[in-house]
Amino acid sequence: MPTQQRIDRQWAWQPYLPDRDRPWNLQRVGHLYRRAAFAASWAELQQALHDGPKKTVDRLLTPGPDYESFHRSMEEVAALIAKGDNSIHLRAWWLARMCRTPFPLLEKMTLFWHNHFATSNAKVNHVGYMLQQNQTLRRFALGSFAEMLQAISKDPAMMIWLDTHLNKKGRPNENYARELMELFSLGIGNYTEQDIREAARAFTGWEIRDGKFHFNPAEHDDGEKTVFGRTGRWRGEDIVRMCLEHPACSRFLARKLFRYFVSETLDPEPDLLEPLAQRLRHSQYQVGEAVRMILTSNIFYSEHAYRARVKSPVEFAIGILRALEGQPNAVALANALENLGQRLFYPPSVKGWDGGPAWLNSTTLLARNNLAQALVSGEDPQFGSRCDPVLVLRKYGRQSEEQGLAFFLDLFLQGDLAPDARQRLAGYLRESEQFRWPAYWSDQDRREHRLRAVCYLVLTQPEFQLA
Amino acid sequence: MLNRREFLHTSLLGSSLVALHGWGPGFLARTALAAPTADSPGAKDTILVVIQLTGGNDGLNTVVPFKDPLYAKYRPTLQLPTAQLKKVNDEIGLHPAMTGFADLLQDGALCIVQGVGYPNPSQSHFRSMDIWHAASTRESLTEGWLGKALHRLPQPGAFHVAMANEPNWLALQGAPFKVPALTSLEDFQLRTPAATGSDQRSQRQVLEAAAKRPADHPLLSFVQQTALNTYENTRRLREIGRNYQPKVPYPPTGLANRLRLVAQLIEANLGARIYYVSLDGFDTHASQANTHANLLAELSGAVTAFFKDMAARGHRDRVCIMTFSEFGRRVQENGSRGTDHGSAAPMFLIGGRVRAGLIGEHPSLEKLELGNLKHHTDFRQVYAAVLEKWLGIPSQGILDGQFTPLDVFRS
Repeated sequence: MPTQQRIDRQWAWQPYLPDRDRPWNLQRVGHLYRRAAFAASWAELQQALHDGPKKTVDRLLTPGPDYESFHRSMEEVAALIAKGDNSIHLRAWWLARMCRTPFPLLEKMTLFWHNHFATSNAKVNHVGYMLQQNQTLRRFALGSFAEMLQAISKDPAMMIWLDTHLNKKGRPNENYARELMELFSLGIGNYTEQDIREAARAFTGWEIRDGKFHFNPAEHDDGEKTVFGRTGRWRGEDIVRMCLEHPACSRFLARKLFRYFVSETLDPEPDLLEPLAQRLRHSQYQVGEAVRMILTSNIFYSEHAYRARVKSPVEFAIGILRALEGQPNAVALANALENLGQRLFYPPSVKGWDGGPAWLNSTTLLARNNLAQALVSGEDPQFGSRCDPVLVLRKYGRQSEEQGLAFFLDLFLQGDLAPDARQRLAGYLRESEQFRWPAYWSDQDRREHRLRAVCYLVLTQPEFQLA
Repeated sequence: MLNRREFLHTSLLGSSLVALHGWGPGFLARTALAAPTADSPGAKDTILVVIQLTGGNDGLNTVVPFKDPLYAKYRPTLQLPTAQLKKVNDEIGLHPAMTGFADLLQDGALCIVQGVGYPNPSQSHFRSMDIWHAASTRESLTEGWLGKALHRLPQPGAFHVAMANEPNWLALQGAPFKVPALTSLEDFQLRTPAATGSDQRSQRQVLEAAAKRPADHPLLSFVQQTALNTYENTRRLREIGRNYQPKVPYPPTGLANRLRLVAQLIEANLGARIYYVSLDGFDTHASQANTHANLLAELSGAVTAFFKDMAARGHRDRVCIMTFSEFGRRVQENGSRGTDHGSAAPMFLIGGRVRAGLIGEHPSLEKLELGNLKHHTDFRQVYAAVLEKWLGIPSQGILDGQFTPLDVFRS
């Protein structure tokens, strides 16, 4: 449970070293995999337990030997999708990628940036451009934020989304300049309305030609502009650079990364975040370094971070699939996620999804339960039995029903569930032995049905909603 | 969005079963007795439907001061042809797409409040929306005006009829229970992998018990409350008839579908007094003309159908619809045949008891503030009227400061 007490900043960012009070156990492994990946399979949990935190974090941060060929095959599919112009295929493609990738942290960060530079195809209306943006976000996801901010400013989807391509000399359009400062780099309160109006002039003459960024000097206002108190004949690139040089930028980004990886409930003091902001500044905004600092820190493995986030719909769904080593129907999954409140490539606004507790309301919580049902019951017309808890039990040699329940609890909750809740789950298995089942069911049908049902009941425990 | 303080707050309130206690079909009969005074209008069972126009509606092209020569000057390409406007008087006309609203005006059911805003307006979508939601301009805003209002109502009931991708708005936070968000009744059913009746009962018991277990973890306790509310609501909404037959046809638009569901929930007599819906897309920085016309047609068509449906069911004097947007738009159009973020704008109130016609002058096109219209009426004066004169509850403590209710309702 997060506490109000002041957190010692030095302690917070020192590397976590397992000891008797804070052992490297299943709970900490599960925690790391929920944050730095999309949960873990049983084999991954065991491997990480054996390897220890340092080696595991290294592995999560590095593309493994399989990644290159995986990436290539996904890009081949992407090329077809770009031609097809059907956004459901685009969403399905990304979900399949998250589900199968040997480098899940890269997808996790791409998702972070999709929410940071939230662009919706509702306005862009161009699958090829949306895909291209997704590839740009992935390219820089663990790399340089400075380069990414320049690249995204010239990204065609972004330019359509925030009207940069319509911004002309003498007739400036403020849309991009405002969100660049408010949402992409500085945060509200760190610039003035006048800064926005002047900065908008610097982005005039930015156009899209042949599907690419094009600078048109004839439409560019090359007069003097004063932004953040500095006067010059600034161009768009200068404004982006000045945002990156602004002292608020690294702090803004550090706060967002902290919220994504550490806690949504803790509102960290600026002082606590300063070392992370510093790391960003000193590394010229190398995101991977900041992420490594977080994933190896004391605070990350502490009670301040444990279960201090609400899973996003994507984390919820992909987490189930990866844990059960399932192969989903990705189109069906993309459709289902809409009811959970996360339609990829269609964030509700340029601010992205609010996240945290805002993910959950009556409708979305119900949709989560119903998706869990569809995925594990083996009977859903869309999902069928491509993600079968019974197969996983068989694979890892769990024979009895007690072993089955214990396995699901360890796999999904790392055994961290109150004893009374555990007993009720066991109670269902016991009670249901006496139910009258359809007469044509075999012993095996009955047993497997009850195991799938108890898996569903584990997935609907409130604890499973937390990351 | 909820923050930490709110989790603590909600978890302190204890089980949502307590909060939901008494919110059921029998509510109307009980409130009639519980109502404070009969002479405060709306103290009984009035209903408020709030429609949020997300993105910043261009008020200047919604309620148009066509007589003012500056209008044409500032809007060289976006000016609306005078002949097509729906005239309100000799100087002011509604956007040509708002034929339904013109009918409502004729019918004495449309009130147009001009020049609404607040001091030192923010031109950030998100900050300004928060200010409208919280009815406050303080730096940190965590509770919404409707969430707080629900504490004061004798029986707190509310629904957010939402689109699938829609955020949980700040306006509804801080309520004694979590305001349920509904997208459709069909989607609002709990499916379990149960094979028989006793299997289903048994599974449902495990689910509900998990939601009721005491938790000392604020985030976990928040999830549990949401789950408990959800299970309660699925039970309640299962009873509602699926075949709602509107008395008038609704247009085939998203907003009309949402308002139709509102009508269905009102008819089901669940006792909710506050409904929240939104319409997105008003952030018209470029090529505004068609987009804006379509949005206003959707708004006007849906609201008119809903109101006529309600009136035909005898709720003409029981329902009030209020629209707002986080800001208006810049007076001078930009170079992309669109408009950038602005400030003051009109609000609409629709109902059998509103004071029909214009309230307040159109803000001057001469005396601008950084190129934006200056407000003369604080939005919290409208909120104060809605709270005090319509819902029958004091506005103090809900609005940040003292605001005199604007005279928008007939007494």
